[in-house]
Amino acid sequence: MKNGLAFALCLLWTASGLSAQESPYVVTYDHHLEEPGNLEIEASGTLGAPRSGSFYFAPYIEVEYGVTARWTGELYLEGQATAGDSGVFTGWRLENRFRPLKREHWINPILYFEYEGLNEATRIGKEIVGNAHPRRESNAVLSKVPAHEIETKLILSSDIHDWNLAGNFIVEKNLSAAEGFEFGYAAGVSRPLGTLASGGACRWCRENFSAGVEVYGGLGGTNGFGFSQTAHYLAPVVAWQVSSNSTLKFSPGFGLTQLSNPVLLRFGYSYEIRGFGTQVAQWLGGKH
Amino acid sequence: MKTARLTAIILLSATLCLLAESAGYQQDPNWKAPAEAAAKRNPLAGKPQAAAGGKKLFQRECAQCHGDEGSGLKKAADLQLPMVQAQSDGALFWKITNGNPDRGMPSFSKLPENRRWQIVMHMRELGAN
Ligand code: HEC
Repeated sequence: MKNGLAFALCLLWTASGLSAQESPYVVTYDHHLEEPGNLEIEASGTLGAPRSGSFYFAPYIEVEYGVTARWTGELYLEGQATAGDSGVFTGWRLENRFRPLKREHWINPILYFEYEGLNEATRIGKEIVGNAHPRRESNAVLSKVPAHEIETKLILSSDIHDWNLAGNFIVEKNLSAAEGFEFGYAAGVSRPLGTLASGGACRWCRENFSAGVEVYGGLGGTNGFGFSQTAHYLAPVVAWQVSSNSTLKFSPGFGLTQLSNPVLLRFGYSYEIRGFGTQVAQWLGGKH
Repeated sequence: MKTARLTAIILLSATLCLLAESAGYQQDPNWKAPAEAAAKRNPLAGKPQAAAGGKKLFQRECAQCHGDEGSGLKKAADLQLPMVQAQSDGALFWKITNGNPDRGMPSFSKLPENRRWQIVMHMRELGAN
């Protein structure tokens, strides 16, 4: 029932909007970057129900662009609404992913660097880091507390036949507060349900689905590395390529510790515009 | 007089540019499949009907840079050229898997292996045209 409701909400949300990726991960990053010149727009949301406190919904929009074949840039805008409280804009993020190696290897590293102009009301939970604290203040209060952060990730990812295995180690520093570094992790395994592409267009066939599972959580900070006082989730993930350029993703995350939300429902819809860079260049009257 | 000279210079450089463009695609000598990869057989070779799926994928993933017929746009190679078609299935599969990112060809390792082999099958059809 709960899942049905979330799915309906997800369809509703996506009907209003916007993006496409082969991997079904929502939190974990693998080593596959955006092709150069492609633009992907994604509308996503995280619905959370904390053990104590009201449930909340945190929607976000991502615009991802393949700057070169070794560099993908991404802009996020995010907000948050809590039942019985208010809805607030929680800030923006500018993310960059770089591929240091030229060829595919057994393990492929990607370097991730993000600047975040957020406030403390942020709840999209794209990265779970540090220690978990139950929230007591209202959105009005939290949204006035700036959280300018630098987030870096080491992404390691392998394709073994049709399986993908990916692990991310996260280090985050809040520049707005006198606190140390916070750590976190995410890892996932996934595969497409069908590996052969059919000749015609099809919507419901197996080739359009991929599935897997993610685990992610905080690892404390410089004042205490480890699992104590942290939140962790186990989350099955599924992606459905609805058309040649749009994908729906859904992932129910289950909290593994007392400080985790019992359930986090995540969904996203992405729309990919291939050759966007070339189209814009032509538009501006460039030669190509 | 001055304008005439200027026009001549502009025309000359335009011609040189055009020539440079049509001189076309130069293969990167450092982008070669290792012998073991080049020797790999296409596991779908006995299923010619799989090429149709390759066509669909080519249109979706490749045509924006290589054109619908694979004849190349901008810096993206003309895939019908004999120097491309002369390579083994395994070598083309390796190039699609790894890409050549510094020269604008992305890696397509995100596609399942079967789909990359299907694309190779479709590339052969393009070559036969
Ligand atoms: C973003 C543009 C882009 C896309 C998308 C793209 N290519 Fe390429 N491709 C290139 C460029 C540029 C080159 C030339 C690379 C070089 O100069 O070494 C190239 C080269 C190649 C070559 C090597 C030709 C040779 O000389 O051996 C093959 C094979 C190839 N592409 C196949 C594909 C296939 C198949 C797809 C789709 C799955 C694809 N490409 C998608 C840009 C692209």
